[in-house]
Amino acid sequence: MNRWTILLLTLAIFSVVISVSMGREVSFGEALSVLWHHLTFGSSSSPDPIADRIIWQLRMPRALLALVVGGGLGMMGVAMQTLVRNPLAEPYILGISSGATAGASLFYLGFLPPLISKAVSMPIAAFAGGLCAILIVYSVAGRRGTISVTRLLLAGVAVASLMGALSSFITLSSPEPDKLRSVLFWLLGSLHLATWSSLIWPAIAVLIGIAGLLMLARPLDGMLTGDESAHSLGVPVESVKRILIVLASLVTGSIVAASGAIGFVGLIVPHAVRSFTGVTHRRVLPASFLAGAVFLLWADLAARALLPGSQLPVGIVTALCGVPFFLILLHRNHQGFS
Amino acid sequence: MRQIFLLLLILTGCLSSARDQLSVTDDLDRTIYVPPRIERVAPLAPNITELLFAAGAGSKVAGVSTVDDFPAAVDSLPRYGLIPTDFEAIVALDVDLILASEQVNSPQDADIFAAVGIPVYFVAVNTLGDVTRVIRDLGDLLGTSEFAHERATQLEDSLSLLRTLTSDLTTKPDVLFLINPVTLYGFGQGSYIHDMVDLAGGHSITQHLSIRFPLLTDEFVLAAGPEVIAGAFGLQFENPHLLLHHPTWDILPAVQQDRIYGLNPDLYLRPGPRLVKGTWELARVLQPDAGIQP
Repeated sequence: MNRWTILLLTLAIFSVVISVSMGREVSFGEALSVLWHHLTFGSSSSPDPIADRIIWQLRMPRALLALVVGGGLGMMGVAMQTLVRNPLAEPYILGISSGATAGASLFYLGFLPPLISKAVSMPIAAFAGGLCAILIVYSVAGRRGTISVTRLLLAGVAVASLMGALSSFITLSSPEPDKLRSVLFWLLGSLHLATWSSLIWPAIAVLIGIAGLLMLARPLDGMLTGDESAHSLGVPVESVKRILIVLASLVTGSIVAASGAIGFVGLIVPHAVRSFTGVTHRRVLPASFLAGAVFLLWADLAARALLPGSQLPVGIVTALCGVPFFLILLHRNHQGFS
Repeated sequence: MRQIFLLLLILTGCLSSARDQLSVTDDLDRTIYVPPRIERVAPLAPNITELLFAAGAGSKVAGVSTVDDFPAAVDSLPRYGLIPTDFEAIVALDVDLILASEQVNSPQDADIFAAVGIPVYFVAVNTLGDVTRVIRDLGDLLGTSEFAHERATQLEDSLSLLRTLTSDLTTKPDVLFLINPVTLYGFGQGSYIHDMVDLAGGHSITQHLSIRFPLLTDEFVLAAGPEVIAGAFGLQFENPHLLLHHPTWDILPAVQQDRIYGLNPDLYLRPGPRLVKGTWELARVLQPDAGIQP
């Protein structure tokens, strides 16, 4: 671990503690004592049951979901930018998020029957939508065993538009118009549905993603030089591309199912991180995971705190804070993006 | 073809505006010009339809939206869509005046209707008192004053009667009134719902939130600890459904005492005359021991 990773890891832990402890309803000290009670496996005195629920059942899973989602998006951003060798790439670029959104809207607005229970069916619908989108993109982009990056990008943009239109159509023709506000909130990206149980699936998907990408760190470095030179370095380029696409749909699909399409994290974080760590994937990947997590934790804290008693979709905050930061970064380091 | 049609309408609109008309001010403080006798009107929201019928102007309603279902007389009327506003269908009804809701309809729609020469009168129902004020205003506007004033007084008498039943009660439960059981939209500052809860013998816990329709957090609800959760969830609502989506609420007084009530959404989400019935229904669940019978 290099110093940037250690610094970011410390910052991420600090951010989780702050995110869990800040809020109107419970005092900072009481929040810390609840945390201490759980982290020491109940050895300290039992906390007030209301504070306990707020801190441990509501804020903790929410903070951990922010960590998983922000980290997953930051990390997949790096992978996608390497896959298509384009600094504009982000985890949503291949239409996965639009497909997931369309799937979830179809289910949520009552066009698909709840197969098991509502809580389980919606992530499944979102995941199936994302997978459907990526399969269309993939089958268009792949030809005779090779994947053309240009076709991948074009098909991704086209399928994203198609799925976006489908979502809008579903939303506007919904038989249950009072659900529109809920769907809108989810479409803009929000972590307010986090529970311990809803955290499991995205956490597993993101862990698989981290492990897979770290194992591919070396081939990914090779791919930065271009398909042909990577091939001459002994990188199995086409297999790596396929694995990346599968990992991307797994991670992004489960993230979108849990929190909607939270924008800009996957685009901004890798660029910000590379300007500190350089381009080696063994360093960029963990640092991007941690930086994405920290960014989303603070964005969600703002989303919870800006309106008293109410909350904002965190996607609005990530765009409001992330984009100006990204523009400043672009202005300062123009050499890094050429 | 459509453009020519609209152009002709705009032209005829310009010509007709020259005739002598009355100026009136609507609830958004807009001054509009209406014909001295209004025979046909089109309401742009279901609560406006109900207010028109309450004002005795039901026979002047020329059509209603696709979501209207009350009173039963609307079943035989022509329909038009509201999302987005179906301008052509409404213009084709040849009405003298369009009545819009400040909560639902956009002022830009009024500009389009103004361009074809149809005035739009905006109605705002923010408090419970606004219901009877608007009924009287509509009666005065549409020439059914006597009926409207009588109906408004009846509704006010009904609310006064309820007030005498609940004002002396010593225990007023803290009430959380929700729009949706899953995504927690509630009512913020200045909403009629707080007047209803107050009259029904309760205390609304969201009345000081500055957002009009706040999306409440689970932790806000936990900290506020409501003794009753009432919502426009429908009468078929099953209480365990709420706990399924908000598992941390098991320690709320409302959950422990099983005081969660799904109510008929039309009586709470359509700010019109049926809010009075809704207030009585609410009083029955908030004060079950006070012997309140609607």
